[in-house]
Amino acid sequence: MWVQLEVFLQTLISGVLLGGLYALIGLGMTLILGVMKIINLTHGQLMMVAMYVAYWLFTLFHIDPYVSLLIAPPLLFLLGMFLQKTLINPVLRVESILPHNQVILTVGIGMVLQNLATIFFTSDYKSTPVDYATDAWYLSDYWKDAPFELSLSYPWTVSFLLAVGITTALWFFLAKTDTGKSIRATAQDRDAAALMGVNVGLMRVITFGLGSALVAAAGCLFIPIYYLFPSLGSQFTLIAFVITILGGLGSTMGAILGGLILGVFESMTATYVGMGWAPVGRFAIFVAALVFLPGGVASLLKRKAVTK
Amino acid sequence: MRRTVALFLALLLTLAWAGQVQAKDIVLGVPLPLTGAQAKFGEIIKKSYEIAQEEINAKGGVKGDKLVLNFEDSQGKPEISRSIVEKLIDVDKQPVVFAEYTSACAKAVAAVAEERKTPYLVVASAADEITQQNYKYVFRLNPSNAYYASGLLSFMADVVKPKSIAILYESSDFGTSGAEEMAKSAEKAGMKVLLKEKYEKGAVDFKPILSKVKAARPDVIYMVSYVMDAALLMRQIKELRIDAGLFAGGAAGFAIPEFVGNAKDAAEYVVTATLWSPQVPFPGAKEYFEKYKSKYGAEPSYHGALAYSSLYVVADALSRSKSMKQDDIRDALKATDMMTAFGPAKFQDKDGYQNQNFMETLVLQVIDGKHQTIWPEKYAGAKYVFPIPKWRDRK
Repeated sequence: MWVQLEVFLQTLISGVLLGGLYALIGLGMTLILGVMKIINLTHGQLMMVAMYVAYWLFTLFHIDPYVSLLIAPPLLFLLGMFLQKTLINPVLRVESILPHNQVILTVGIGMVLQNLATIFFTSDYKSTPVDYATDAWYLSDYWKDAPFELSLSYPWTVSFLLAVGITTALWFFLAKTDTGKSIRATAQDRDAAALMGVNVGLMRVITFGLGSALVAAAGCLFIPIYYLFPSLGSQFTLIAFVITILGGLGSTMGAILGGLILGVFESMTATYVGMGWAPVGRFAIFVAALVFLPGGVASLLKRKAVTK
Repeated sequence: MRRTVALFLALLLTLAWAGQVQAKDIVLGVPLPLTGAQAKFGEIIKKSYEIAQEEINAKGGVKGDKLVLNFEDSQGKPEISRSIVEKLIDVDKQPVVFAEYTSACAKAVAAVAEERKTPYLVVASAADEITQQNYKYVFRLNPSNAYYASGLLSFMADVVKPKSIAILYESSDFGTSGAEEMAKSAEKAGMKVLLKEKYEKGAVDFKPILSKVKAARPDVIYMVSYVMDAALLMRQIKELRIDAGLFAGGAAGFAIPEFVGNAKDAAEYVVTATLWSPQVPFPGAKEYFEKYKSKYGAEPSYHGALAYSSLYVVADALSRSKSMKQDDIRDALKATDMMTAFGPAKFQDKDGYQNQNFMETLVLQVIDGKHQTIWPEKYAGAKYVFPIPKWRDRK
């Protein structure tokens, strides 16, 4: 009985911690989708680039990956702005037979980034073996007679809390600042925003930079608990995509909830169905969201708001 | 137009000239995963081939001809290694093929080689099926998965005496066959298999599955993983303080020095099956190890020793072969009976295997951050640590 409870709670903890990080990955993609109406399929590759930044800072200068949070995201912000300005914007302007040229372009950018990483850094697996990688807090240390043992990993928890902090900061930015409001206005109605004097072109560039910076932050949070290789990106692009669909296209709150749901769902699948089934679970929830909840979690939130 | 023709002719001439110069060399294409997830292993294997190649050529090569190796990158993808080997056999008319690392790739290569009636020497691929398909032209120097753990099993039977086991494995050819074999042997040895779970490569979080393992309280946790998953698993086991009697790995990811570097203190006392260590009493083993270490500044794993020895086996077969024809080389390989740095090499048909080399396997344990040979005792370089301390009591 206690044992079962322990397994359940430990799984729940893992799921929530993982979900928080997933949410941060999903947020950037959702933001870009909301403003630019394109799915950024190079999202995971941008995360990979940020992780290499963090890895080299750690290996060469012994800079802790968490400190890289101050370095990698700004760099990726610039890279994102650069990509948007020089590559995606020109394609947006071109009339073409295919309506989603930009999406295809992002796939191309992702491939280039991945192959560049393979050329420069080889496809070896890299990791940043930090000293605190296996430290954890244990329930029994705080509660002597605990009938079961729970552990809370130190790096996972720090990563999770930082992810929550970054998400809150993002919310504050979008809700309270002028630039944030302009971004939201652009997402809601581009033409109306332009008529109200919002510089839509600039907002797009900033949004792409911001989305890249967010996923870069996720990369810095991931590297102490995971490892790194050039083709890691596609896996996380996929996760971000699932979260975006699950959360409701373009909804920030939806992406946060979507990330948490996906994290918990994956962990529960791993424990109660089998770890080999976790990716299957991921796509089952993806299809289920498309079929039963096409608007994602965001549509539920909205419905509630309307009935109120 | 004329210019293109002229250029083309010039190119042809150059090629013909180049071909003539190297006519005395035996040029062999070697498919290996030089990029991709398995690149680490590919690199060790490549470097070891190069050491062996140098030594063999310094001693006069094969019947006076120099061996020249052309490494080709298969990226660890079966379809690519397949096309490389098709090219080697069909276009380059290479009479013997060897190398490749993952079991999935080796399987693909073996199928091509058998179809084209060209002998293929497997280097370090472990999946049992490779030499169980009545292939006439496929040879394997390393013991297969079923025998990988034989040393580990005897260590468990004599020292650990476990009653139950939990098995975690990567859902690849190598992982699956390793786990199947372990489950079979464990049941035969009277252990109860409490749990047998596979995971998808690239998983971030093993804690859900590990907390299930913890609840099952197995005496032994046996894991079959490649390099990074191995470290991640041990780190998360430490995090959850799972106190099994023994943490055992099925070679590969657990047996290379990077494992300790990545898992750090969580790697301590983990035992792993392995096929080779520098302490084995075979001629050339120690010398190879020292040479590799001084040349590349890193320690080779058993993969390297296998590659090193396998080139000697190939060279030996080529020099005994009546001609450079595929069938003669095959007969020569079949008649192989030699001593290598890896151990005795002799390809036998036994227990449902064909052209398989059988040998004893070893057990390593991480003691003070270094892999030490602990079993069988006659090869041991250090005394094993058992029982291992509980996580809580480690500093």
